[in-house]
Amino acid sequence: MNGMLKPLAPVLACCGLLLAWQLASLGLKNDSFPTALESLRAIPPILTDKESLINILASLRRMAVGFSLALAFSIPLGLLMGRSRATAAFFNPLLMLIYPVPKAALMPIIMLWLGVGDVSKTLVIFLGVSLPVIYHSFEGAKAVEEKMLWSGAAMGLSPSERLLRIVLPAALPEILTGCRTGLVLALITMVTSEMIARQSGAGNILFNALDMGQYDTVFAMIIIVGAMGICLDAAFEIVRRWLVRWSEPQFDMPLSFS
Amino acid sequence: MGVTPIRPGQLAGVPLGRRAATPIIEIDHVSQVFKTSSRRDHIALSDISLTVGEGAFVSILGPSGCGKSTLLYIVGGFVSPTSGIAKMKGKPITGPGTDRGPVFQEFALFPWKSVLGNVMYGPLQQGMKASKAEALARTLLAMVGLTGFEKFYPKELSGGMKQRVALARTLAYGPEVLLMDEPFGALDAHTRTRLQNDLLDIWERDRKTVLFVTHSVEEAVFLSDKVVMMSRSPGRIREVIDIDLPRPRRREELLLDPNYQRYIVEIERMFDASGDNELPS
Repeated sequence: MNGMLKPLAPVLACCGLLLAWQLASLGLKNDSFPTALESLRAIPPILTDKESLINILASLRRMAVGFSLALAFSIPLGLLMGRSRATAAFFNPLLMLIYPVPKAALMPIIMLWLGVGDVSKTLVIFLGVSLPVIYHSFEGAKAVEEKMLWSGAAMGLSPSERLLRIVLPAALPEILTGCRTGLVLALITMVTSEMIARQSGAGNILFNALDMGQYDTVFAMIIIVGAMGICLDAAFEIVRRWLVRWSEPQFDMPLSFS
Repeated sequence: MGVTPIRPGQLAGVPLGRRAATPIIEIDHVSQVFKTSSRRDHIALSDISLTVGEGAFVSILGPSGCGKSTLLYIVGGFVSPTSGIAKMKGKPITGPGTDRGPVFQEFALFPWKSVLGNVMYGPLQQGMKASKAEALARTLLAMVGLTGFEKFYPKELSGGMKQRVALARTLAYGPEVLLMDEPFGALDAHTRTRLQNDLLDIWERDRKTVLFVTHSVEEAVFLSDKVVMMSRSPGRIREVIDIDLPRPRRREELLLDPNYQRYIVEIERMFDASGDNELPS
């Protein structure tokens, strides 16, 4: 693609999508399928409504907490598993068991035990984010060149120093790949958890609007949540690139918006 | 100068080093057996005894699979021998230490650190002040010819430059022995020659003990005081040859020196005779 057009490509794709939506909606004339313009017009009222903003911010806060806790737990665990066969042998079967279970399916039990508040929702986000981060940290740590660790050992680094100061940075490109997947999963589990435990949050606004037949609000919320995802992912990608600016190009993500 | 015949190979275990200096590394009846999942175990090293004198440049020369790198890793403390013992200055080697500095074929630089950061890493780890470590690193980088590349990341360097950084990084923490594991094996012929020349120039300054693993006969003869010839299956020492060529050595002079050529031919002939003829020449 030519250089001028490339940065505009996502914008053009957006416009195309909205246009197709507008035309489809006008053609179908269905109450539950508002036009793109109607849905876009419903966005400012949501974003200026104090109640809605509090809900959306609460969602983001839970997501941030769940995501951060998951990284704090999963990165060290993954790195340990990658460098210690015993740790990997212990945790691998457990993770294989948990991996295919949709984390939102655990929501009813978690709600039963921990209620419908922040704790339950944050826990589901934590679970959703953890697995890809553990997996990528594990793979990254496993792939660290032995000679690099030997070089560190010859300089007098203890095993724990090597884990923190060689394995962690060396595995960082792979770890961040897992974090990026984790971030998108955090958003997904956040919305899902709020649809199940309807008490507050962006997912709750969406379903309340659906109950009341405010379809333009439903679609507006989908756009808002989607835009949040795209912005978070793009922001994370900027941070990721900066953090691994030293790494070989083979670690570059195939998906990116720039 | 006349052509002197190569003395019949000294037996393994006889102290090495031009001046018969105090031994710095002693390898005493070391064997290394690797468990394999199928069939019989692989004997990488069989009853190796070798003494390296302080300040000697000793090459371990052999075909691939003769266990020469494993021997170096044992001295480095990265691998424990199945039996036997390796000692550094009389003390048994139980693990890696700053007294023995490795330089690997794979460079093993820290890719997240700049060139300067890589070279400063060891001194900082030893508690040197940052300003002092930086000055030391800059001096060493100048010595290996990399002034101006301090802020570069390893990925931005060529193979030869990476190995120069790796050498500077190892020299920075002041090991008494350099353990070089086919350090120029991944480089093209031209770069390899230049690094050999520069390594000798650097070595001439302080004559640190060097244990140098290679499969190139020319490289071993050009650099070393002693060449330890190994054979494989199982890996053992078959000959230790003194390289009695004047120092400091200059490639242009050596290439015209019949003694230099003679060492190469003789060593190649010995490998051929044993059937270990997979040495690329």
